[in-house]
Amino acid sequence: MAFFYLSEDTTALACAGEQVIVLVAGGELDHHASPTLRQQIAGYIEAGKRSLVLDLSAVTFIDSTAIGVLVGAAVRLQEANGGSVAVVCAPANERVLRIFDIAGVGNAITLSSSREDALLAMAPAG
Amino acid sequence: MCACIQHDLETTTLGELRLPARSSELGVAREFAEATAAAFGLDADGRFEFAVAVNEAVTNAIRHGRPDARGQIHLRVQASADSLTFAVRDCGTFTAPLARATASSEHGRGFAVMSTLMDAVQLCVSPGSTTVRLTKSHAGEPAPGAARR
Repeated sequence: MAFFYLSEDTTALACAGEQVIVLVAGGELDHHASPTLRQQIAGYIEAGKRSLVLDLSAVTFIDSTAIGVLVGAAVRLQEANGGSVAVVCAPANERVLRIFDIAGVGNAITLSSSREDALLAMAPAG
Repeated sequence: MCACIQHDLETTTLGELRLPARSSELGVAREFAEATAAAFGLDADGRFEFAVAVNEAVTNAIRHGRPDARGQIHLRVQASADSLTFAVRDCGTFTAPLARATASSEHGRGFAVMSTLMDAVQLCVSPGSTTVRLTKSHAGEPAPGAARR
């Protein structure tokens, strides 16, 4: 039976700021997991989060449906308030990175190798 | 005309699976793909590529196709001397999407993923039947001890 989880990294709050939510996902992100993923992300957006950092380093499988959910969230955040989605994936997780590369997310989502890098890239210049 | 009819007499059916058309069954489809590709002698990359491609094809069948009278989608695996093919069939009649997916589209990446990972992706449509055939050529010899039938 496939499973996945999505939890909030509350320790990142200090450097992320109140408008950024840092989430950690694991397990298998497929078409079955996608409605829950979409719903949870929508909840954070409705709660006023401007940008999303999503760490997929512990994800063992991702498909085009789940990637589409993340792209949809990025488009929604961008249109609403100029926000963004940053995906974090450790270089060792070659399978997830390969699927992102093949699926083609263009500039809709930025990919970083660590949460720190993603937050730095998201921080206002200066 | 459907170009997907197999004329190759050397083709062997390696396995079949009838899967309830529910997204909760996708993990079963992936495990089936991995195990069958392993039995054919594919390496870890090849097994993963089939798992991803089969997952996409079954997802499309669940989302856009129609199950049979028993609510199932059919998977059949055929091997020849140098290739492995997974056929994913539902009882819907595929129609081409009107809009082309872009990088900022939420949907429409499945076929691009399948085409990149496979050596050939064939779509066979007739009224009440849609089959996606995913084929990889088998480079090199099978792994020692691999169960080739």
